[in-house]
Amino acid sequence: MYRERDISIDFLGIRLDSPFILSAAPSTDELELAYDGLKEGWAGVILKTTSVEENPVPLKYPMMSSFGPQSRKVTGLGNIDLISQYHIDVIEKRVKALKESFPHKMIGASIMGAKKEDWQSLVHRLKKAGVDIIECSFSCPQGSMGEAPGRMLAQSVEATEKVAGWVKEAAGDTPVLIKITPQVTDIVEVARAVKRGGADGITASNTIPSLLGLDIYTFEPYPSLFGKGGYSGLSGSAIKPITLRTIAEIARNVDIVISGNGGAFNWKDAVEFMAVGAGNVQFCTLPMHYGFRTIRDLKSGLAGYLDAMGFKSPADIVKKALKNIYSHEEIPAPKTRAQLIEEKCVGCGLCYVACRDGGHRAIEWRSGNVPGQDDSRKPAFDEEKCPGCAMCMQVCPVDAIRMKEQMDGRCQYYEEVR
Amino acid sequence: MEDRRKFSREQALIEAERCLYCYDAPCEKACPAHVPVPEFIQSVRTGNLKGARNIIREANPFIEICGVICPEFCSEQCIRGKIDTPINVRQLHKFVTDNTDPEENLEPAERTGQKVAIVGGGPAGLSCARELSRLGYKPVILEKDVVGGIPAQEIARTRLDEEIAGKETGFIVKHFVEEVKRAEVEFVGDLLKEYGAVFISTGLEKEQEPDIPGTDLEGVFFAREILKNVRKGQKSPAGRRVGVIGGGNVALETAAVLKAEDPGRDVEVIYRRGLKELKAFREEIEEAVERGVTFQFMAIPREIRGDAKVEGIMVTRARLSEPDESGRRRPEPVENSDFFIPLDTIIIAIGQKAGEKFPEIEKTAAGLIKVNDKLETNIPGVFAGGDMVNGACTVVESVRDGKKAAASIAEYLERGKA
Ligand SMILES: Cc1cc2nc3c(=O)[nH]c(=O)nc-3n(C[C@H](O)[C@H](O)[C@H](O)COP(=O)(O)O)c2cc1C
Ligand code: SF4
Ligand code: SF4
Ligand code: SF4
Repeated sequence: MYRERDISIDFLGIRLDSPFILSAAPSTDELELAYDGLKEGWAGVILKTTSVEENPVPLKYPMMSSFGPQSRKVTGLGNIDLISQYHIDVIEKRVKALKESFPHKMIGASIMGAKKEDWQSLVHRLKKAGVDIIECSFSCPQGSMGEAPGRMLAQSVEATEKVAGWVKEAAGDTPVLIKITPQVTDIVEVARAVKRGGADGITASNTIPSLLGLDIYTFEPYPSLFGKGGYSGLSGSAIKPITLRTIAEIARNVDIVISGNGGAFNWKDAVEFMAVGAGNVQFCTLPMHYGFRTIRDLKSGLAGYLDAMGFKSPADIVKKALKNIYSHEEIPAPKTRAQLIEEKCVGCGLCYVACRDGGHRAIEWRSGNVPGQDDSRKPAFDEEKCPGCAMCMQVCPVDAIRMKEQMDGRCQYYEEVR
Repeated sequence: MEDRRKFSREQALIEAERCLYCYDAPCEKACPAHVPVPEFIQSVRTGNLKGARNIIREANPFIEICGVICPEFCSEQCIRGKIDTPINVRQLHKFVTDNTDPEENLEPAERTGQKVAIVGGGPAGLSCARELSRLGYKPVILEKDVVGGIPAQEIARTRLDEEIAGKETGFIVKHFVEEVKRAEVEFVGDLLKEYGAVFISTGLEKEQEPDIPGTDLEGVFFAREILKNVRKGQKSPAGRRVGVIGGGNVALETAAVLKAEDPGRDVEVIYRRGLKELKAFREEIEEAVERGVTFQFMAIPREIRGDAKVEGIMVTRARLSEPDESGRRRPEPVENSDFFIPLDTIIIAIGQKAGEKFPEIEKTAAGLIKVNDKLETNIPGVFAGGDMVNGACTVVESVRDGKKAAASIAEYLERGKA
C-alpha cells in the first residue's frame, strides 16, 4: 500500500479522516449500509433521522423522481421520503455497534421530535449509546412535527432558537448541529437563532421544497402514486448554487461551524462549499446514485487539489472565497468586453446567436455566406456594442471566449474554470 | 441479424444531445438538399418526432430513402467532429422516419400554372415535380419504367423496406404530380409544343463495364440486375463461387445479398484499393463481413477467363500512390504480381454511364448533358439534372438538382409570361 496523503480535518473536536461524510438519508438507514459506507472509506455517517417510538412514519412508494437530460437524468433528485421508519430503540443499538466497529470514524445520528420531552429523550438515549454528534432535522420538506406540523421548524426563528436550546441543554458537551432550510426570508436570522439556542453548528442545508415534474399526458405529478402526487424535496446538483449561497451568507454573518450539505456531487463542489465556509461536506444523492465507491475519487481529487494548490490541510480551504463575495453595490464596475481565444474556437456560431437574440447584437458572424466575405466561421466582437455580459462565454462549448476586464489602468481576464 | 442501422430511443437521445445546435450550421450547408439538420435534431431532443419529420421532409421529399442510403455529406462537415466525433445525422434522420408515420394527409397544392414535362421519374424528377407543384405548376411525369427510379427498384430489401420506399414515391405522385404517362422519350423537341418547359432526369442508361477481356462470358452479370432480381423476390442466377468487382455500396450490398440468399456459396469482393478506401457505409461493410463475404483488396482485374463460361479472373496486385488533387490514392499495378482467382460467377458493380438519347442536346465528352448553373441545356426551356448531368450521384444530390431545376423553370415560365 502506498501511503495516502493526509486530508484529515477537525470538525467540532472530532477528527475526520477526510471532510466527507454520509448525510442522513436512505444510505444510512440500515446498519449494514452505514457499515459498508464507512468501510468503503467515508469519514463518518449521520444515521437517517429517527424519532421516539410513539411517532408513526407512514412511508409511501415510489418516493423518487428526477430531472435532467438523457445523459444526466439525475441532475436533480426529488423525494417524498420521510424520516426513518426505525425509532430510537433501533438507532441506539446501531450507534453502539458502529462505534464498536469503527472507533475512529464519526458516528452521528439525526433526530426529530414533536415536543421538548421527545427531543431531549432522543438526545439522552443517543448520548448513552455513545454517539459522536447529534444533528437535528429542522427542515424536512415532507413534514415535521412540533409546534406547526407540516411547516419546517427552521422557518420560524423563535422555534429554531427554542428547540435548539432544548437540544443543547440535553446534549451537554456532545456537539449539536441544526439542519436548516434555505427556504426562508432571511437565512442569517435563522443562523443567529441557532447560535443563540446554543447549538454548536449548522448543517446548511437540506433538500428544497419543489414540484419535480408532471406527466403532461395525464397531468399526474412525479412521482405519481395511483395518480396522485405532491411536493418533493429536491437534492443533487440542481441545488448546489442555492446551498453555496446559503453557506456563504451564514459564514459571512454568523460565527458558527457549518457542515455543508445539498448538491455536492464531486470533490470540486466540496472545495467550493468549504471555500465559502463549510467545515466539512455531507453527501447524499451522489452515493445514492453511484454508490459508496464514489468516496475514492472524492478523497484523491481533494488530495490532488491540495497538493496542486500547496495547501497543507483541507482546513486551509475553509472560508478562502469569502473575502471576494460582496453585495451588488460593492462589486466594482470594470469596463468589460468579450474576447475570442482564436485557436480554441470550433466555429459553431452559438455565441453569435446567443448575442444576437440574447440582447446585444455585438457579434458579427464571419460566415463567408456573402461572396468576398471572410469565411473563417469565427465571431468578431464589436467593442462598441459589447458591454461584456458574458452570455456568449456561457454558451461556447469549448470555452473559447473570455472576458477582458479593465479598471484603474489595470487589465485582467476572466474565464470560468469548470 | 440485429439491425445496426437503427438507433434505440436512448441512443438517439444521447446522439441528439451531442449536437451543438450550430448556427449557420455547416452540416446544413453541406447537405445537398439543405436539410436544416440542427433544427430537426433539436426536435428529436425534445421528443417532437413529427416536427422533426416535417422539417426534413420540407427540404427533402425522399426522407425514408435518404435515411437509409444518404452518404452523409452533412456529417463530414460536422463541427462536433472537431471536438470528438461527428454527429451521426443519418442515423438520427432514420430514427425519425422509423418512428413516424410515412404518409399523412395533405391538401394537394392548387395548380393553376402551365404543364411541365418531367422526363424520368426518379428522385430528381420527383423532387422537381414536388417543387413545381408547390409553386402552382402542373408537373407531368413521362417514365418508361417504374416511377421511383433507382432507390425504389434496386436497394436491397434488407436495407430499405420496399413498401415504405414505394409509399414515399406514391405519396409524392399522389399529392404533387398532375399525371404520370408511360412513355419513352428519345427527343425533347416535340415536348415543348405541349409543355411550358421540360426537365430531363432520366438517369444513366448503360452499365459501366470494366475495360478487360471476357465480360461477354456466360456467368458475368451486372450488380443492378441481380439487385432488381432479388428485390422482385426472384432467385439470383449466381453460382457457387462469386466474385464482385467494385468497392461501393452496390458492390457490398450485392455481395451481402448473395451470401444471404445462399450462405454456402463463396462471395468475394474484388477491389482495386484497400479497406480504408471502400466507398461503402460502415454498416454495409460490417454486414457483408458478418455474413461471411471475403475481400480481395489491392487487386486490379485484368481478364475474365473461361471457355464459354466464366472460370475465373486474372488480377494484378496494386499498391496505392500518394493522394492526388482529389485526395484519392490511385492504385498502381505491382509488376509480376498477377494471380488467378477461380470463380464461376462475376458480378460487375462499378457504376453506370450515359446512353445515346437526346442527340439534339449538347453533351460533354463523357456523354453527359451540359447545363449552365441554372441547369438549363442548350435548348431554351429544357433543363436537366441528376445522374444525366453529374454522372452517378446520390439521391440527395438528385433532390438538390430537382429543386434547383424547379426554381429555374418557374423563373423561365414567369419570364415567358411577362
Ligand atoms: C430519499 C432521501 C431521504 C432523505 N431523508 C432525510 C432524513 O431523514 N433526514 C435528513 O435530515 N435529511 C434527509 N435527506 C436529505 C439529505 O440528507 C441531504 O440533506 C439532501 O439530500 C441534500 O444533499 P445532496 O444534494 O448531497 O443529496 C434525505 C434525502 C433523500 C434524497
Ligand atoms: S459579452 Fe454579451 S454583449 Fe458581449 S459579445 Fe458576448 S454576448 Fe454579446
Ligand atoms: S461559441 Fe465558441 S466555438 Fe462556437 S463560434 Fe463562438 S467562440 Fe467559436
Ligand atoms: S454541424 Fe454537427 S453539431 Fe453542428 S448542428 Fe450540424 S450536426 Fe449538430
